[in-house]
Amino acid sequence: MSDSKKILIVDDEADITKWLTLLFEENGYQAISAADGSEGFDKAEKELPNLIVLDISMPVESGVKMYRKLKESDKTSEIPVIMLTGVTPEFENFISSRSQVPAPEAYFEKPVNKEALLEKAKELVG
Amino acid sequence: MKSNNRVNPPRRLADMIYEELFHQVPFNVAVIDRNYNVVEANKNFTEYFGNWKNKKCYAVYKKLKKPCKDCPSVEVFKKGKPIVADAVGVDQHGRKTHYVGHVFPLRIKEGGRVEYALEMTHTVTETDRWQQEYQILFDRVPCYITVIGEDYRIVRANEAFRNNFGEVLGQHCYKVYKRRTTKCPNCPAAKTFRDGRVHHSTQLGMGKRGQDINYAVSTTPLMRGSDNIAHVIEISNDITALKKLEHQVIEAERLGAVGQTVAGLAHSIKNILMGLEGGKYIVSLGLNKNDKEMISEGWEMLERNFEKTTSLVKDFLSFSKGRLPQLKMIKPGFLVKEIVDLYKDIAAQSGIELRSEIDKNVKSAPLDPDGIHTCLTNLVSNAIDACLMGKQKGTEVLIKVSEGRDKLIFEVSDNGSGIDYEIKKKIFTTFFTTKGGEGTGLGLLTTRKIVQEHGGKILVDSEKGSGARFRMEFPRKRLMALYKEMK
Repeated sequence: MSDSKKILIVDDEADITKWLTLLFEENGYQAISAADGSEGFDKAEKELPNLIVLDISMPVESGVKMYRKLKESDKTSEIPVIMLTGVTPEFENFISSRSQVPAPEAYFEKPVNKEALLEKAKELVG
Repeated sequence: MKSNNRVNPPRRLADMIYEELFHQVPFNVAVIDRNYNVVEANKNFTEYFGNWKNKKCYAVYKKLKKPCKDCPSVEVFKKGKPIVADAVGVDQHGRKTHYVGHVFPLRIKEGGRVEYALEMTHTVTETDRWQQEYQILFDRVPCYITVIGEDYRIVRANEAFRNNFGEVLGQHCYKVYKRRTTKCPNCPAAKTFRDGRVHHSTQLGMGKRGQDINYAVSTTPLMRGSDNIAHVIEISNDITALKKLEHQVIEAERLGAVGQTVAGLAHSIKNILMGLEGGKYIVSLGLNKNDKEMISEGWEMLERNFEKTTSLVKDFLSFSKGRLPQLKMIKPGFLVKEIVDLYKDIAAQSGIELRSEIDKNVKSAPLDPDGIHTCLTNLVSNAIDACLMGKQKGTEVLIKVSEGRDKLIFEVSDNGSGIDYEIKKKIFTTFFTTKGGEGTGLGLLTTRKIVQEHGGKILVDSEKGSGARFRMEFPRKRLMALYKEMK
């Protein structure tokens, strides 16, 4: 398992993190999770995952804020990010306001199609 | 020359009095002969109508060239009796003037024919103007004015009132305003008759076409003598449009809030769908691996997300309802006891003590039992969650009900995790939750909505780490007003 790629899942919904963790683990990845943007960023800096799956709407610190911090940090700026969102306008707002940061590698609208998510993960990290 | 040397005889007292009276009397006095000539006039007359010597009365009074058709003096010459008449003339400056005249017959011989007419006139132009102004004000002022007698019959009503309530003179005010057969309870006019003071109130009446009319009325005493109130004046402002606007604004705000919440609702539903998807995946994986523990874990996830759907739909329906609270006179303490019974065991299982304090001075109040039940349920379940999040020992939740200054107060406090400033700003926002997937984010919003529907407000006092206190205040006056309105 030590060679397996590491994916960080950041979502405040425990059931979602549990499911995605299992989904990635079952498909040969190593999965770790965090419940909000602040915890997620700390873990990203410490664990340096190969991919981050990031929810947008979260209390304490949103996915948008965490994404900005990731892109501003030398340690994490190269980690590809898949954004998850429950609300399309929220994501559109994010896209239109992100002039200072590059676009995320992909985004999926909830409920996520697991095959499509796995395919994207494979494409991004192998 | 002879006349220059003549010595005038001393004036008689009667002549002196006559002359003084003739000129000082506050009337315009003139004497007219049978040929319409002005033969004598006093100073007031001269000052008012100008030069009259060798002039006909119609030329002096009205600047006409021939006699007036309705000349009162002709009537006096004919019938020999005094009469009173009013007329419109022109003063010496050409201004139109309205005057009332008393015309008396003068005979040279007693029993003889009337040789002269003595005309005493006084101008009523100013009074007339004031009356006109008053009438215009009375009728055109954009509010309803009625004068009510002691028997509650309408003795006067202005045009605005008559336009909306019909021709109502002589009818009882309660019948006209509200189609009642008896006096209205809490009638402001009755209060004014009783204490002579001005009273205000807001009422709902019915117009002549059966339409609802909301009005804010002020009653003022109309005194006869020093202390006898003969009539009461009711001045009412029609606030129907304002009320309608108020309802529209509330409705628009509600619709706006609903629109705003749709996005939040979509977010919550999508998360639930993800949870269901996850549960399904885990169950299926467990079945493939014949792993009972995994199947059970997936099944629990499915159950949890079905439950979330139920709870979300319930909260959403409760939030989106735009209804008036269904008020009943109840003892607030009962509601508190009900909640304690409901949550005591749940709290105890988590090591939390749930207590209540019911102030014995708390009186019955018109409340919506279901609404307040929902509010207390939301606050208590939040408090229990906060205690669980605080993870400290000896946690407790206290529900209090007490009587404040003219207000009923419910308080739910805990010594749990508390709320920090940033979160406190958001707690009444749609779909905001600190409980991750456990909350719908509608509980406090619904609570605030119900409290506001009761005319009350909700206050929060908390700091991170030091528990929280939610306080619902219901002004008793507003509760009673809503209760009356509902009835």
